[in-house]
Amino acid sequence: MKVKAKYMKKSLSLELLFLAMCLGCVPGALANSVTGGQTLSANLGPQAKLIVVQPSVPLLHAGATFANFTGGVTVQYKVRTTASGSSTLLVKAASDFSPANGPSIVNLDLTYTCGGATLGSACSGSQTVSTTSQTNVVTVGGGVCTGSGCTGSDPNSVSISLTLVDSPTFKTGTYTTSLMFSISAI
Amino acid sequence: MNHSRSGWRLTMAVILMAGLGAVSAFGQFAASGTTTLSVTVAAEASISITTTTTTLSSTPGLFVDYTGTTAFTYKIRTTQSTGTGAVNVKITSDFAGAGGPSVATPPSAGDALTYSCTVAAPATACTGPVTALTTATTSVASFGADARSAKAGNSGSVSWTLTNDPVYKTGTYTATATFTISAT
Repeated sequence: MKVKAKYMKKSLSLELLFLAMCLGCVPGALANSVTGGQTLSANLGPQAKLIVVQPSVPLLHAGATFANFTGGVTVQYKVRTTASGSSTLLVKAASDFSPANGPSIVNLDLTYTCGGATLGSACSGSQTVSTTSQTNVVTVGGGVCTGSGCTGSDPNSVSISLTLVDSPTFKTGTYTTSLMFSISAI
Repeated sequence: MNHSRSGWRLTMAVILMAGLGAVSAFGQFAASGTTTLSVTVAAEASISITTTTTTLSSTPGLFVDYTGTTAFTYKIRTTQSTGTGAVNVKITSDFAGAGGPSVATPPSAGDALTYSCTVAAPATACTGPVTALTTATTSVASFGADARSAKAGNSGSVSWTLTNDPVYKTGTYTATATFTISAT
């Protein structure tokens, strides 16, 4: 009986010791985690994109006979420029009006004005559309962006008012051309 | 087991489609974009009378007829192949005042206000002399298909002749001639 009690006491001690060791190891087990830092960096360069809201624009005239034809286009754009950079939105006619014997871009019949640019400066005064060179619509300065926390709207927009001469020399018929808008940023 | 696998596939499909949709929305913005301009050029015509007041005068002599010229500028575009055009004139207000000349009721048989026409191409002038009327328009010029004037317009004129009837009482008499142009 004494031996049995002694054995049981010893066993209990061992169990308690074992338990104590386990409890002592728990903090150590929790502390046994590896942490480390990783530096992430993204180099955001200048960027610019646009969309022409109207895929097609009819030029119409009302009122006085031989009054000019007019129409409107809206271009939306998103821009990010470097601190010392800039962005320009330009327009160019892909080709002259087709078929021939009607209005002609080469003859300076098509002009436009710009207005309502929500970011940057819209072109000033009447501009003549060209088939050989791009002409200005909007100029944006450096250090700008588009989106939350940025100046302007998201997306930004500008309105282009088109004017086409109505000359008696044009033959009757329907004539078409295509305007290409492009944007770049530095 | 099959039910859970189908649900997982459906979830992944929804996520994939949402991602593609987001990519396509941003893809509409690009470095450039185009729009097509179209214009329909139709038949049109306009006229401007450049002589504000046409004075009919007579050379001193024995009842020489009164004459005067009205000048105008016209712009016209008629339809290719099938179009036509015309310039006409009508006396919309007769000479006023009793005892003087009259287009509608001349005091003497043979009294008349007549005119001849001169017009630049593409117009064809009237065959004169034409007797002006208060009751209907009379021709000044005509145009055929695909008739197109210069951008600034082309010139024309009407030369008037008014009988100098001795029965007319002395005085100043005024009438109004209205010109119209049309094109198809």
